Amino acid sequence: MKLLVFILNNEEYLEEVLEAYVEAGITGATIVDSEGMGRFLAYEVPLFAGFKEFMKGNRPYNKTILSVVRDEATIQRARNLIDPVIGGLDNAGTGIMFTIPVDWASGLVPEEEEV
Amino acid sequence: MQGICERLDRTCVLLDVQATEKEMIIRAMVEALAHIGYVSDVPQQVQDVIAREKLGSTCIGSGCAVPHAHSVGLRETSLAAVRLAEPLACETPDGQPVDLFFLMVGPPHHAATHLKLLSKLARLLHDEHLRTDLRSASDAEQFIQAICRREN
Repeated sequence: MKLLVFILNNEEYLEEVLEAYVEAGITGATIVDSEGMGRFLAYEVPLFAGFKEFMKGNRPYNKTILSVVRDEATIQRARNLIDPVIGGLDNAGTGIMFTIPVDWASGLVPEEEEV
Repeated sequence: MQGICERLDRTCVLLDVQATEKEMIIRAMVEALAHIGYVSDVPQQVQDVIAREKLGSTCIGSGCAVPHAHSVGLRETSLAAVRLAEPLACETPDGQPVDLFFLMVGPPHHAATHLKLLSKLARLLHDEHLRTDLRSASDAEQFIQAICRREN
C-alpha cells in the first residue's frame, strides 16, 4: 500500500488528471491547495523580491493530490495516463509525483467498491 | 561554492560609520568594493541596489539589513558590510532601527548563487549570538571571524 503524492503545477489540468486517476483505478483522493517555495519567497518575503524574474518558471499556486493506493500497478497506470495530459513529468515545471510506503490506513474506500 | 566568509574582504567591513541615510551606507559599501576591484561603475551599482530596494525593504529585523542587486559587468558575487555608530530607522518587520548592513552584489547569471548566499546570510543574522558578536567586534578581522565561526 502506498501514499501517492502528486504536486500538479498547472491547475488547469486538474480535471483531466482526476479523470486519469479514476480511469487508472484510484477512486479516492484529497486535493490540497498548495504553493511553491519560489513563489512564496519572491512574492511574500521582501528580502527575496528581486528574484521574481529568476522564479518566473514557477506557477504561483498548484494542487497537491494525495491518495492511498493498494495496488502498485495502479500507480504505474495513473502515471502513464497523466503523463500526456500534463506534457510529461520529466519536463521541468509540470509537476512532481512520488510515493511513500503506508503500513496502516483506515477509512479507505473498501476494496470491493473500487473501480 | 565560496561562502560569505570568503567573499567578505577585510577592507570592505566598515565599522562605526556615521550615516543618516540608507543611500549613504549603500554608497560606502559599493565604494569599498570598488577599491578592491569588484565593482567598476560605482554610480550604476548604487543605482541598481537602490532600484532593488524600491521593490521591497531588505531590512530583515533585529537591526539587520541586506541590500543587494544583480548587476551586469560584475565578475562574481561579493559582499561588504557596515556597522553604524547610531542605528538608522528602516522599514523592518519588527520596527527596530538598523545598525548592521550587508551589501551583496553579483552578476545576473549567478542568481542561484546569490539566492543561496542571501538565504544563508539571513539565516546567520537570525542568530542573536552572532549579532552580539558583530556589534561588539573591535575590528574588521573580529567581525569576519565571527561570521566564519558560525558559517563553518
